[in-house]
Amino acid sequence: MELAIQAQGLDKAYRTGFWGRQVKPVLQGLNLEVPQGVIFGILGPNGVGKTTLISILATLLRPDAGEVVVLGLDVRRQASRLRERINLAGGATKFIWSLTVVENLRFYGHLYGLWGTPLAARIEELIELFELGPQRQIPFDRLSSGLKQRLALAKALINTPQLLFLDEPTGGLDPVMAQHTRDEIRRLNQVTGLTILLTTHNLREAEYLCDEVAFLQQGRVLARGSIPELQARLGMGDQLILTFENGPACLDYSRLPGLLSYQERPPVVELVVDQAELRLAPILAELQRNGNSLTKVQVREVDLEVLYRELTH
Amino acid sequence: MSLLTEGIKIWAFAARGGIMNRRNFFAMFEMFFWPLVAVFSVGLLTQFLRLDEATVSFVLTGALAMNTMQIVQLDISYALLYDVWSKSLKHGFIAPIRLGHIVLGSGLIGLLRGLVVFVIMGVLSVYYFDMELLRPGWVALVWFLIGLFLMAAIAGTLVIALVLIFGHRAEITAWAITYLLMILCGLYYPISLLPNGARWLAEFIPLTFFLEYFRSFYGFPASVAHPLEWGLLLGLGYLVVSYLLMVLSLRASLQRGTLVKLSE
Repeated sequence: MELAIQAQGLDKAYRTGFWGRQVKPVLQGLNLEVPQGVIFGILGPNGVGKTTLISILATLLRPDAGEVVVLGLDVRRQASRLRERINLAGGATKFIWSLTVVENLRFYGHLYGLWGTPLAARIEELIELFELGPQRQIPFDRLSSGLKQRLALAKALINTPQLLFLDEPTGGLDPVMAQHTRDEIRRLNQVTGLTILLTTHNLREAEYLCDEVAFLQQGRVLARGSIPELQARLGMGDQLILTFENGPACLDYSRLPGLLSYQERPPVVELVVDQAELRLAPILAELQRNGNSLTKVQVREVDLEVLYRELTH
Repeated sequence: MSLLTEGIKIWAFAARGGIMNRRNFFAMFEMFFWPLVAVFSVGLLTQFLRLDEATVSFVLTGALAMNTMQIVQLDISYALLYDVWSKSLKHGFIAPIRLGHIVLGSGLIGLLRGLVVFVIMGVLSVYYFDMELLRPGWVALVWFLIGLFLMAAIAGTLVIALVLIFGHRAEITAWAITYLLMILCGLYYPISLLPNGARWLAEFIPLTFFLEYFRSFYGFPASVAHPLEWGLLLGLGYLVVSYLLMVLSLRASLQRGTLVKLSE
């Protein structure tokens, strides 16, 4: 397994106050390995160091200590060579207000040494990919949030990077646009094999996109794995709350697929399953086969805060 | 690292500067309004004071120098400030560029704008106020302009260094630095009129010698024997030092997180 990112003993502290006398540690001996070709999520609450970590990996911030190798290059000593092979976009990416979509892409293309026909072709390819055709001559400050986000992603691919950093890629987007962006990110990874490292607050997003995630706490990786793996490790899952018409069914609940635990409180039964969207249909089918009629079905998905709380206790 | 790739990266900033200047009303204002105000206010003052032709040229040389230098320096400073104001700084610096690309690219546009300002002000000064702009000759004029562009590059580079270290707090230097230098360098007066401490400082600023060099052709003696050579020597030295300072300030910015903070 080739590694895209290898960080060992990574430390970073910010100095604040008069003459920088106050030191605020953010990353403390962080270790992280990310294989090539995956979508890897960095999760954690605000202020835990997600953006700091991504900034260090993207050569925008220097670590205080530790070894960081990205795509086989040292982020401190070989930053310039590394920059040719990476790129970055965020949920609230901003570009110069009066440059149009095409001018922005051309400017950033030039920064990677692209010129003439190859650059024009790449810009057209990206405009088509992100459906920016009708807006090609619109200045950045007149684009909607969704279009700005699409432009940010297009810019992040201008140099055909091998590793893409996405800092809260759907932050500030409406649900439809957010889902469109997620689909686009997944498609990019599947079609091109591009390694993507993203930060998010949204557990569902991480589950939908990421092959693996790492939870940060106090500047270290608290846990890593796929979301279902982590949920299973903690015995956590989505809740299915079933309300029966005539009391709970006479069923051996433990045989239901994906069941982690259950609790009967007539006429309600609360089931905890690994993934509600996968398990709901077979469970309902099983209940129907047994002749039980339901008056209400509620699904409560685990959110990031609960998972994070469980991990930290 | 091919020469062509380096040229493309420099061109990126030149092209962007060109577009921004074309679309930005404020940039046009800087290019035409303030130079016109300067040439007419100073020119009319020289008429009111009934100055002789040589002294008129002495005074108007200051006005021309200040506005030309400031426009070039602003363009260099703006190359970074546009990214700071739009919070897109990190997108530039995640690309494989160096600060030299920014300074050279934006300096190219600044140089063009500076030339336009100099020509407009020069023509108006000659036409309305009888300034003898060409008395020193074309060679002296070209050296004088080179001196002004050199000073603008030093000042612009220093502004970039300060913004990278201190962030938004240092933006004001983009507009203040040229005025500060001009006061010390003898904008409308010889430096012999300055108080001792200020005169001592003026002798360390290359612009002092470029102004003295050009004004010497109107009969005003310079404070040193070879003002042009002295100015160029100092100027090139300062350019190297200010470039190094800018590189160090980027390093400090990467260490302290200023670059990321300026993008949020």
